[in-house]
Amino acid sequence: MNEERDIEGMPDAQPNQYARLAHWIQQVMQQPDAAPSSLATTQDNAEELLDLQFDSQYHLRYYQQLPNFALALLNNEPQATLHYAALLYHLAGCDVCRHAYIDIYSSLKEALRPSGPRPFLGQGTRTLNATPPRMLNHLCRTLISQAEAVLLQERHEHVIPSDWDNQNKEEEARVLLRLALRMGAHIIQQNVRRQALQDLVRVASIAEGWQPVQPNDPEARSYTPALAGTTKTRGKVFRRADMLQPPQHGAQATFTIPLQSHNLNGTIVQHGNQLELHLKDLDVAMRGHHVRVSVLLGSLIEPVRWYGRDPHAILSPTPVADDGSLIIPLGETDLQLSNSEDYQLLETLFMLVDVRKA
Amino acid sequence: MPLTAYDLRYHAEQSYPLLYAYLHRNAQRFLGALKYDAFEVDLVIGHVVEQLVRLGLLGCGDTTPPTALDRLSDAQFYAFLSHSVRNKAIDRLRKRRPPISTSAELETSEGADNDEDPLNEAIESIWGTAPFSTPEEITLHLAQQQELRAILKHCILALRSAPHQLQALLQELRALGADDLLQSLLSEYQLPLPTEADPHQSQHKDHAHKKLRHCLQQRSSNLSVLIALRLTEYGKLSGETQEYSTTVQALAQPNLSPEAVRAGLQALVAEGLLTWHGEEHITLTTAQMKQLSRYYRQE
Repeated sequence: MNEERDIEGMPDAQPNQYARLAHWIQQVMQQPDAAPSSLATTQDNAEELLDLQFDSQYHLRYYQQLPNFALALLNNEPQATLHYAALLYHLAGCDVCRHAYIDIYSSLKEALRPSGPRPFLGQGTRTLNATPPRMLNHLCRTLISQAEAVLLQERHEHVIPSDWDNQNKEEEARVLLRLALRMGAHIIQQNVRRQALQDLVRVASIAEGWQPVQPNDPEARSYTPALAGTTKTRGKVFRRADMLQPPQHGAQATFTIPLQSHNLNGTIVQHGNQLELHLKDLDVAMRGHHVRVSVLLGSLIEPVRWYGRDPHAILSPTPVADDGSLIIPLGETDLQLSNSEDYQLLETLFMLVDVRKA
Repeated sequence: MPLTAYDLRYHAEQSYPLLYAYLHRNAQRFLGALKYDAFEVDLVIGHVVEQLVRLGLLGCGDTTPPTALDRLSDAQFYAFLSHSVRNKAIDRLRKRRPPISTSAELETSEGADNDEDPLNEAIESIWGTAPFSTPEEITLHLAQQQELRAILKHCILALRSAPHQLQALLQELRALGADDLLQSLLSEYQLPLPTEADPHQSQHKDHAHKKLRHCLQQRSSNLSVLIALRLTEYGKLSGETQEYSTTVQALAQPNLSPEAVRAGLQALVAEGLLTWHGEEHITLTTAQMKQLSRYYRQE
């Protein structure tokens, strides 16, 4: 390569015949649109949500090349800047990516050529339950946002298969969503968990090509988990596993996940290993007909062996009764609603259940 | 139990608590006076966690290609994490440090016992001495390097399908005094000389900049130039046929996949610089080789 000076020892006082061309390139490369915002600032309230640095529109394609680019520079690879020319042109105009590059370069340099004593290594064993929920919340939102960024990249960019580009973006997004779902299930407080996973359904819908139920469609309903304390039950004491108390004398304790769809209630009930969806008061238009149940997040993780194997198309064995009620066996699982961790995972899994006339 | 990039990639659920604990300890260490500020500690930890996710490491398994971070030993990976925490902590300390506005405050500040202030260790910029740390430094390099300038040429030539925009750009280059580049473009490719009067020149220029910006950041542009250069380097002249030949496999070395090589070759075919129909062996006439050399080697 026609190097005119060392990479590490860039500009000095030497007059440069290319300075004006460089200035022009800089003007051309200046991003006209606002770069992804660095959101976190100086809030003092520890209860505030920790904002993400990037939204899902950040420059993922360039960002993920930064460690290899930094390493190539550190190793003085002769064709480093030519090999990463597109990235270098991008860095000339994008402050956010350039700052990330400098951060990564600096940390990688310290890792490979330490200037001081090595930092102490991590010790001991830790569990997710000992990790603050706010940080699990942040991790979940980051994972979901990243999944969305990956999906957006796949849809908006023509990717040239190469050593840099991953061809299986959809699988990458699904892996990230799956991890978010599992991590979120470790958050005990339902409201914090909801906050952490609030975008999970939306992004999973993109990944799965999900068609949402229209609000006024009399032949379809979308159910989501009811907030604790908002469901009315008759005859039985329905319990959430994170509110476990010894059952009152004479009362029958059943562990269920209450669902709701506007003014309608439904429940996920467990009998042995079998999970059932109990519905009532379904619209007249659905009565006398079979229904098809879709569990949006059902294909992300595999703790449930779905009947018919497809969580997006579980057919009811019987038609909706004249009073609008229906019980649909969904599948089998070794998870137990009576166990709080299992409950949280299952409640997350049933974040969106669509019921459509078959 | 040590923590490695491998653990984070393949066992994120188990590794995240260890990562959190390590980052938390380091965040408190580097945040100095802010170490009891839970929000600041979270902010620093969150920065590093988000970086690991955005880089395609945390929890991604085999769905993302390994990077330089995957090749670090556990001690090196800890050093990487620790330094990332330090960078962010110093950034936060600088943002939160109140500005000193009076000489009395300055004296107080100097007199205070600041031995534990991490900012004292950060005499130089936290961005350190990384190459290409400013846009000026990057663009100077892009302008100086012949091969990188060739990508610029390639992208300017891609504007031939929009003559007004190309004209506007050539005008700019002339006004700029980028004579070498301008002459190269004009003489080698028989481009028209810039004309003076065009009432919409500003608009054409804006459109041209947009297209140029897009082209320069495309890997396909880089591949065209990279493959053209490799063809001129790797092509071997046969005494019998008087043709140059090489293979896709040879062009892939180093650092390119065969798919990337093929994409680059296709781009050169589209530009009329090469005749190739997807074979493993590539042959060039002497005229094509001469044109490629002129195109990307000389100005």
